[in-house]
Amino acid sequence: MNEVLFVILRRLRRPLIVLIIAYAISVWGLVLIPGMDKDGNVVHLGFFHALYFISYTATTIGFGEIPFEFTDPQRVWTIVCIYLCVVSWAYALGSIFHLSQDQTLRDAAARRRFALRVAAMQEPFVLIVGYGQSGIMLARMLDRMGQRMVIVETRGERAARIEIEEFQYPPLFLAADGRSPDVLVDAGVTHRKCMAMVALAGNDDTNQSVAIGGTVLNPSLRIIARVHTPIAQANLESFRNIELINPFQTFANNIKLDMGSPERLRVIEWLSGLPGGMRPEPLNLPKGHWVVCGTGSFSQYFQDALESAGVTCSAVHVDPQKQGESAAIQHHGGATRDMIAAGIERAVGLVVCTENDSFNLATVTRARSINPAIYVVIRQANAANASLIDASMANLRFVKAEVVSHKARQLLTSPLLIRFLKYLDEDSGDMARKTGTLLEQHVADKVPFMWVFDCFASYAGLREALAPGVDPPLSIGDLLINPEQPPERISAVPLLLLRKKKEIPLPPEDTQLMSGDRILFAGQRGEGELQKRFLLEPSPLTYVRTGMEPPRSWLFRRLLQRGRS
Amino acid sequence: MNLEKVIFGFFVILACTLNFGFFIGEIDNVKVHDAGHLFAAVVVNLIALVMKFGDRTHIGATHLATSMVAMLQLLAASFVWMWQVNINHLVMNGETMSTIVSLSGGALVANLISVILLISETLRQTR
Repeated sequence: MNEVLFVILRRLRRPLIVLIIAYAISVWGLVLIPGMDKDGNVVHLGFFHALYFISYTATTIGFGEIPFEFTDPQRVWTIVCIYLCVVSWAYALGSIFHLSQDQTLRDAAARRRFALRVAAMQEPFVLIVGYGQSGIMLARMLDRMGQRMVIVETRGERAARIEIEEFQYPPLFLAADGRSPDVLVDAGVTHRKCMAMVALAGNDDTNQSVAIGGTVLNPSLRIIARVHTPIAQANLESFRNIELINPFQTFANNIKLDMGSPERLRVIEWLSGLPGGMRPEPLNLPKGHWVVCGTGSFSQYFQDALESAGVTCSAVHVDPQKQGESAAIQHHGGATRDMIAAGIERAVGLVVCTENDSFNLATVTRARSINPAIYVVIRQANAANASLIDASMANLRFVKAEVVSHKARQLLTSPLLIRFLKYLDEDSGDMARKTGTLLEQHVADKVPFMWVFDCFASYAGLREALAPGVDPPLSIGDLLINPEQPPERISAVPLLLLRKKKEIPLPPEDTQLMSGDRILFAGQRGEGELQKRFLLEPSPLTYVRTGMEPPRSWLFRRLLQRGRS
Repeated sequence: MNLEKVIFGFFVILACTLNFGFFIGEIDNVKVHDAGHLFAAVVVNLIALVMKFGDRTHIGATHLATSMVAMLQLLAASFVWMWQVNINHLVMNGETMSTIVSLSGGALVANLISVILLISETLRQTR
C-alpha cells in the first residue's frame, strides 16, 4: 500500500472514532426513548429509522420527525444529538481540511503522483537532474526536438517554473534532492525507457553523488555529468558509462586550438554548430601576453591552455564573492595596480572570468582605460545579463550554460559525432584539413546535418547486397549515389565508420561494407532521408549499382532469366 | 502500562464478546437474538477497525484485514435485517434470522482471529 494512504488513515483515526461514538450514542438514545404513534400507543424507533433520522440531523439537513411526530423526551434527546453530532462533524471536517493543507502530506502525494506518472511513461525519455541555467537551455533544445523529459530540481521555486514555461511536451518534474537514491528511482533511473541521465546540479559535489548514484542503481544507463574542477573530473572518469562535460576546459581548449591549430578548431566548430546555421569564422585570437582575471578552476584552465599554446600569461586573482560586490568595484586603485603589475599595458588579450557579471564589466572598463586596443574575452555568468555583456562590446563571450547545453545535446543526439570530434582533436596529422576539404567539396558552407546509416542485413533493401559472394561488394561509395538520379552524388560525407568495436574515422569511399556497420554521415538537410530509401527495398541499390531497374514480379524475373539464357 | 494498548485491547475484545453475545442461542429463534446487540457489535467493530488504521507492520495489516472481514459480515447481517423489517415490512421469521445469525457467526470467527493476533502479539513482547 502506499505511503500517503497510510498517513491519511493514521491522522484521521481520532476524528473517525469520535464520529462513530457520537452516532452510536445518538442512535442508541433514540431507540431507547419511547415515542408515540397517532393513536397514542407507545412505540419505539427501530435502528433503521433512528440511523436515518440521525444521518440527516447530524449533517443539518433536517427532513423532519419520522415516522411519527416526536414526544417531548425524544425532542430533548434530539437537542443533545444535534450538538453532539454537529460538533463531531465540525471536528472531523476540520481535521480533513487541515490534513489536505499539510505540506509533508502534499509533498508525499506529489511525489507519489510523479513516480506513478514516470512509471507509466511509454516513450523514451531523458532524465535531467538540476534545472539551473544549463538545465533550462538543454530542456528547451530537447523539447524542440520532440524529446520527452523528466526533470528533478532541488529548489522548489525553480521546479515550479517548469509548470509555467511553455513546452511542446510538458516534462514531468519533481522538487526533490537528486542525491537521494529513492528520488532517482522514482524519477526513472531504472525505467526501461530511460535513455540517459544528465546531471547538471549546482555544484560538483552534488553532481558527483547524483552521477555515481545513477550509475550504481543502473549500471547500463548512459550518464552525462557536468564538472568544473579537475578533482571531480578525475573522480568520475573512473566510471565507464559516465560521460563528462567540463565547460571550462572545453572553452579553454578551444582557445588553445585557435592559437595552435586554427584549422582544426574551425572544422570542429563547423561540425558541432547548430545544423543549418552559418559556418563559424575563425576567432583569430592575438598572440602575445595575456592577462587572466578571475579565480578558481576556470582561471586555472585558461592559464594552462594559454601556456600550452605558447603565449605568456599572468593571473590577477580576484574573488568578488569574498570581497563583496560593491567593495570589489570601489576597490579601484588597488585592482588597477594589480592589473598593471600583471602587465596589462603590454598585453594583447584579457580574460575576465569571475562569477559576477557587474564585476566582470567593471574590470573590462578599467582594463580598456589603460589599454584601449586589448582583445577581451568575457564570461557571462547569468543568462539574464546578456544585454549588459552586449554593451561591453567584448570580442568573445563565454556563457557556461550555452557550452554545457550544447555539448549535452550533442552527446544525447549524435554520440557518434562526439567520437569523431575526439579523433579530430587528438589527431596530429592532417585529418582536420582533409575533413574541411571534403565538407567544402560535397556539402555547402552551412553547418551540416548529421545522421547515422545502419548497414544491417536485416533491412530488406540491403539483404541481397550484403549477401556473401556479391560482386562487386557493397561499398560506402554506393550509398553516396543519389537513388533518384544516378550517377549524381548526394551532398554528404562519411565521417566515421563503426564496425563492432572498431572505429574508422573518415573512411575512404571504396571501403567495403559488412552487415552491422554503422556510418556517420554529414550532409545537407534532407539527404539523409534520400539515403534511407536504400533500406526499405532492394531496387534503388541495384539501380545505382548496375544502372538497371530490377524486375520485381516473379513472371518478369523468369522472363529476364530466359532472355539471358 | 501503556494506555494505548489498554484501549486497543479493550475494543478488540469487546468487539469479539459483543459479537459472541449476539451469535449465541438457537440459530432460528427470533427471541434470543436482539437488534440492540447487533447494533452494539457493529459500532464497537467499527471503532476497532478505525483504531487499526495506519499500522504499517505486518501484524497490523493482518489485524486490519480481520477487522474488515468482521465489519463486512456484520454490515451484511444488519442489511438483511433492515431489508426484511423496514423495506419489505415483514415480521422477522426464523429463516431470515438464521441468515443473519450465520453471517454474524462468520464475523465472530474473524473477531476471534483478531483476538488471537492480539494475544500472540502480547506474548511475543518480552518486556
